[in-house]
Amino acid sequence: MTETKDNICPIIEMHNVGIRYGQGPEILSDIKLCLKKGSFHFLTGRSGAGKTSLLSLMYLAQKPSRGVMGVFGKNINFANRDSLSLLRRKIGVVFQDFRLLEHMSAFDNVALPLRICGMNDKEVKKRVTELLAWVELDKSMYAKASTLSGGEKQRIAIARAVINRPELLLADEPTGNVDNDIAPKLMKLFVELNKLGTTVVIATHSEKLITDFMYPRLHLQNRSLRVYPPAKVFGLGGGNER
Amino acid sequence: MRDNESKVQRKHELPLEGDSTGVFLKVMISIAVFIFALTLAGVLSINSMLQNWNNSILGSFTVQIIPSTESNHAKAVAETIENQNKTIEFLKKHEAVDVVTPLNDAQLQKLIKPWLGDGVDLAKLPIPRLIDVKLKPDAELNYRKLAEQLAEVSPAASLDNHKLWLNKLIHFADGLKMVAMTILILVLLVNSGAIFYSTQTSLGLHKYIIEILHLMGAKDTYIAQQYARRTGWIGLIGGVIGIVLAIPAIFLLGNLASEIEGGIISEANLSVMAWGIIFSLPLFAGAVAMLTAYYTVKRTLEKMI
Repeated sequence: MTETKDNICPIIEMHNVGIRYGQGPEILSDIKLCLKKGSFHFLTGRSGAGKTSLLSLMYLAQKPSRGVMGVFGKNINFANRDSLSLLRRKIGVVFQDFRLLEHMSAFDNVALPLRICGMNDKEVKKRVTELLAWVELDKSMYAKASTLSGGEKQRIAIARAVINRPELLLADEPTGNVDNDIAPKLMKLFVELNKLGTTVVIATHSEKLITDFMYPRLHLQNRSLRVYPPAKVFGLGGGNER
Repeated sequence: MRDNESKVQRKHELPLEGDSTGVFLKVMISIAVFIFALTLAGVLSINSMLQNWNNSILGSFTVQIIPSTESNHAKAVAETIENQNKTIEFLKKHEAVDVVTPLNDAQLQKLIKPWLGDGVDLAKLPIPRLIDVKLKPDAELNYRKLAEQLAEVSPAASLDNHKLWLNKLIHFADGLKMVAMTILILVLLVNSGAIFYSTQTSLGLHKYIIEILHLMGAKDTYIAQQYARRTGWIGLIGGVIGIVLAIPAIFLLGNLASEIEGGIISEANLSVMAWGIIFSLPLFAGAVAMLTAYYTVKRTLEKMI
């Protein structure tokens, strides 16, 4: 992404960030990262490289074990619970396992971030109905999430992540379960949101996705993170990226 | 089913209605409110009883004329009557005294009969004479000074302002009240503990959903409010069940108490205000349940990131 005056302020900053679970070894070490406003990155790396852990840091599910991390200009190390909640409202997340509320309808799942923000029912209905129609789930709007297919659940998860027009969108394999014809449409949604100013990070194993959409890569290897410019052909193991 | 638009009604994010802890809590709270209502009725009855005793005793005292020790019975009776008349004369002139009523033989015998039985000829016994004295409203009396004055008028006259036996009764009633208050506090603590642990269990059951809500930006308050609403409602329902069971029990105990001879317990009537307090217990139970659940959730969630 080219830098402009508007995107100087970093959305996420990490300085020597490390993460470990309990007394175990560090999963990620000395991560240095600066995601500018309006940027678009793919996050790559082998399975177990720590992509989900890095994303979980970004969507504030946990604090770093060491190092300093800033999100939207706020130092996370010293942020209290309520301010973390308010920061999370600016972040949309598509989880690999969807994390839907299975006992609720597709509509209620997508409406969740808006209701948490306290939006009135009329506006919620308008925005959710529009978005569900766009992801071609208007006919299953009132079906329980537990009755939907994997692809439908993934589209609900994506709709829930973008319904609040987040400033930062994080997605873990967002097109992994959807049909080939709907995947480009969902990617187009991410691109459109990015054009409107949303910072996007997509974790993926899909070479096709990375070659079709020419965005820089954040690559995790040996517990550390490297940033690579857009590349037409590369190996996801990180062997030929330079 | 998937296209059934009738299911548009919003569901709560936390499916607390189906929690098994709900039934347990309802039973716990209804039992607690039942015990609470009975104990509270007891405390309020004791209060009203003490109030009635105080009202009937405040503003009155008794003067006892000790019977003469003269060996001649007729002479002894005459001497005692004379002492009584002198005392009555003095009391009627006293500025603080309103009414002086000497108890007649029949009244005295009625008082003594329960202790001596029917087979004793009371006329032959040296029975003390009693004079009931009512004071004027708002009259202030120095009992020590009055006792000294009475001793001068008649050495056989002694003053009883009921303080001694009343103090013992008040002491006993206060003890009962303390026991009852301890029961109330224990019931409250046990109930709050049950709500605390069942809420924690429920939080554990719904950890997955709570994590999602947090990740969507929900504050702890958002989750705590859902628990508070649901637990408050359970508290209210449990409270109503408890009170419905308690009211007949209170009436039954009241009837049994009123059958006790002497009329002491029958003084323990519940006022309209006391009934109001008892009937408001379901609201109180709902409020306690709501607040306990709210702060349990807040405290438990604070340990999460």
